[in-house]
Amino acid sequence: MSATTMLDSAAEFDVRDYLRAEMMPHFLCPGCGHGIALRALLWAVHELAIDKDRLAVVSGIGCAGRLSAYIDASTFHVTHGRPIAYATGLALARPDLHVIVITGDGDCLAIGGNHLIHACRRNLKLTCLMLNNEVYGMTGGQVSPTTSETRVTSTTPLGNSEPHFNACALAAAAGAGFVGREVTHHVPKLKELIKAGLAHPGFAFVEVMTDCTEIFGRKNEMGSSAEMVLRQKSELRPSAYRDTVDMPFAAKDLPTGILARNDRPEYGEAYRRAAVAIKSAADNPAAGRKSRQ
Amino acid sequence: MNAIETAPAASMQLISGNHACALGAIAAGCRFFAGYPITPSSEIAERLSRGLPEVDGVFVQMEDEIASIAAVIGASMGGVKAMTATSGPGFSLKQENLGYAAGAEIPCVIVNVMRGGPSTGMPTRPAQGDIMQARWGSHGDYPIIALAPASVREIYTETIRAFDLSETLRTPVVLLYDQVIAQLTETVELGDAGARGRAAAAERKWASGPRESYRPYAVDEDGIPAMSRPGAGYRVHTTGLNHAEDGFPTQNPEAVARNLGRLLAKFERHRDLIDSWQALACEDAEVVIVSIGISARAAIRAVAMCRARGVRAGLFRPVTLWPFPQAALREATAGARAVLVPELNAGQLSLEVQRILGDRPVDAIHRYNGEPITPAEIAERASSLIDTTGAGSAKAPGVRRAR
Amino acid sequence: MRDATDDAAVRAVDSATVRQPTNVLIVGVGGQGVIMISKALAWLAQSQGFEVKQSEVHGMAKRGGAVFSHVRFGPEVWSPTIPKGEVDILVALEWAEGLRWLPYLKPDTGIFICDTKRIVPPFACLNRHPGAPLRYSRETPAEVRAHVLEAYAIDATRMAEELGNDRAANVVLLGAVSTAMDFPVADWERAVTEFVPKKTIAVNLKAFGLGRGWIDDARRGTPAALEAEPVFATPRAPADTPYNVRLEITPGWCKSCDICVKLCPERCLQLNSERIVELAIPEACTGCRLCEWLCPDFAIRVHLDSVQDMVAAQAGARQ
Repeated sequence: MSATTMLDSAAEFDVRDYLRAEMMPHFLCPGCGHGIALRALLWAVHELAIDKDRLAVVSGIGCAGRLSAYIDASTFHVTHGRPIAYATGLALARPDLHVIVITGDGDCLAIGGNHLIHACRRNLKLTCLMLNNEVYGMTGGQVSPTTSETRVTSTTPLGNSEPHFNACALAAAAGAGFVGREVTHHVPKLKELIKAGLAHPGFAFVEVMTDCTEIFGRKNEMGSSAEMVLRQKSELRPSAYRDTVDMPFAAKDLPTGILARNDRPEYGEAYRRAAVAIKSAADNPAAGRKSRQ
Repeated sequence: MNAIETAPAASMQLISGNHACALGAIAAGCRFFAGYPITPSSEIAERLSRGLPEVDGVFVQMEDEIASIAAVIGASMGGVKAMTATSGPGFSLKQENLGYAAGAEIPCVIVNVMRGGPSTGMPTRPAQGDIMQARWGSHGDYPIIALAPASVREIYTETIRAFDLSETLRTPVVLLYDQVIAQLTETVELGDAGARGRAAAAERKWASGPRESYRPYAVDEDGIPAMSRPGAGYRVHTTGLNHAEDGFPTQNPEAVARNLGRLLAKFERHRDLIDSWQALACEDAEVVIVSIGISARAAIRAVAMCRARGVRAGLFRPVTLWPFPQAALREATAGARAVLVPELNAGQLSLEVQRILGDRPVDAIHRYNGEPITPAEIAERASSLIDTTGAGSAKAPGVRRAR
Repeated sequence: MRDATDDAAVRAVDSATVRQPTNVLIVGVGGQGVIMISKALAWLAQSQGFEVKQSEVHGMAKRGGAVFSHVRFGPEVWSPTIPKGEVDILVALEWAEGLRWLPYLKPDTGIFICDTKRIVPPFACLNRHPGAPLRYSRETPAEVRAHVLEAYAIDATRMAEELGNDRAANVVLLGAVSTAMDFPVADWERAVTEFVPKKTIAVNLKAFGLGRGWIDDARRGTPAALEAEPVFATPRAPADTPYNVRLEITPGWCKSCDICVKLCPERCLQLNSERIVELAIPEACTGCRLCEWLCPDFAIRVHLDSVQDMVAAQAGARQ
């Protein structure tokens, strides 16, 4: 996108057109990066001209899970760890909807890890936006599957000694059709990444590195909200991202952008094609295998 | 034995209980199934993997039990009639999300083919150990409906009724039957039932009118809020948090009490629709046997055996297990001197029966070794209750346990 | 290109008769492959029996910074660098970098071969007012050709993209350069093969052929080559249209996190006595929208009102 068209889009996009005004202000802490990620998502929705009436947002439990309530769309705030599974049912039953999952690092990778890897494998058209703030914020700042080593949390008082997940490597290894990562600092870039994910025909996994300023930042003496945003530029976290499985992840400490992409068949389409075959076999039992009692 | 099967042989089919369940689901309008393999319910999934695409429905085998119920609720939130099937261990895993469906009032049907427990238990042996789990398995206070068919044909009709109740009342409905009936193959005639099922297939109450005046959980006359379908322009929020009439989370005590109060009371106004039972020879019975599923089938034979030896026995079989048809039970046992509850667990149905009958004596046969209770055992115990209590008023032996 | 019929290229590198070294200056931006084609050229020249000196400056800037490389070869070469006005062939992988080095070209005989690829450096965007003109060269290829005897503006990056690997643009240019020297084509290709990554040899050989063919076409004045010249998009410039920046702040949504205050490039925001954001120095605000984008609470909306809008709004208010 050229500089001028980006300016046009920015002038035209008013995030409030996509928010439920009666729910604002939202309940997130001051400086929480999730709000910035939500803006980027809604901007991407706007630029793709997705009809709000056709937009379904499914979210899990935790700070990220609460975001769905603020979006002017059909929104479903479901159980902890399960938004991808709910969204799978919704998207399969209603292929006419545009289904987006908003989840957090604990929701998606700990309690919901099984659903994530199988959704990647199945490759049903869904966009999964995982907001990674390295911590369980809502429950008081406990260590999460993505907390960097040595970080202090409510349950790692002497610093985390568990290695953390590289969510994008995990999703790519599980076969996700689209994998990308971005920080909140560069909103237009983040918007473009989410847009590419939304436009992808299969399962798209987008990890957004966001700042938990009130709890994680405070415990780890990372400064004010503004300092944490600036830190995204100077000190890419977490450094151990380099240690993972695949070469796209080896180059930099925290690679961003589109990290993996494939064009495996989309599950819903593949299923509907197979269903046609089953139907015609049923209508014409002589031609196919015995199918009806 | 075939008192339950009274249908004349018009177009007979020889099918299993699980097969009948799959056929009933499709007849009821089910167009989405998500499941995970588990004995002894897997045949339902197998049947629907072929049956659903034939009617433009969707079958998906999910990665686990939790994902299965989650996908079912997700599909139902999209406006499609949806079902999953499982057995005890899987039913336990589904409980949190079952509570979600109850709280957010999302229709769905969950089949639980009961097997031995606890834990992995005895996968290929019958049990009736999930009676209480079906009612109280999820946390917090919530209403739920559970149906307990006792024959292949009844599995078919009750599956249809499960969908109808689920859609009409916006609630999860549990279909509870045991391994014996699930894998029992019987000759049944489904033509009439199927036609009736289709003709009567209930539709959810859908939102209509302008978006501005729509309240997703409005308290209206029948206590059942109109649901909105994504894509219909209402753009509402659905949450497992306690919510107000507008669907958004609230901790306001009055708003929570109003919505939860409506939810907990919503079945009371619809008991005529929900309650279902079979009272066999209870009018003059001195001993009433209360039982479900395979144990009830044994009890039918036991009633005949008792009557043959001069003991006036009757059977009360709740077809709707939850909410329990308690008025009907009181009526059926009004003239009885003794009540006997044979069941394949260590005491679940008998607890509810005792609760309803208060101080009245309730005896029970409890078995949990994987073997069904035989008609002879029931008949013997029923007869002994009459013998021991003599001609006068029954004394209260309380619940006695076998083994 | 007007002199396409002249055999300037051969004249420039007539190494048999001139003892002066041939001077090739290759310039571009970090990451484009300036050094790689320099080394290929130096290696080739040496293999042809010449004395070669190659000196480069890189790493002053990281990826994205200016890079240049002097390649001199001939019967004897003394100085490692080329004096101003002595470059026989100036090869530029980036448009503005090419223009920057034009004074080094021999005024009468120098050949200029330049990719029209534009990589706008951050310092060309110092004015953050929306639509403000970039401080990037505005010269068009036609204007450059008017001043240089033999100049080729070649869209090498696009040609390489069409081959499926935009990183082969430097070898497209190397193909173009090859037309100006009478080394055998097979030797050029050997040089390419020697220096490009093993997996990309095939695509780079194709790129080399494309560049070489493009110059031949251009010399013959083939219209296709001329039409392929890219039109530089000139930003619509509201800089000419006066506008007013207006910040719409929703005080009830602001949570005083101070991200906007600390990250505003103009430092024109502050928290007021109630710790709600406000625009303290309106005249400094460029309307860059960073505050709007980074506000996690959606409390800021930036409006850019043109004068017409403002007049209309005032007229509306009066009515």
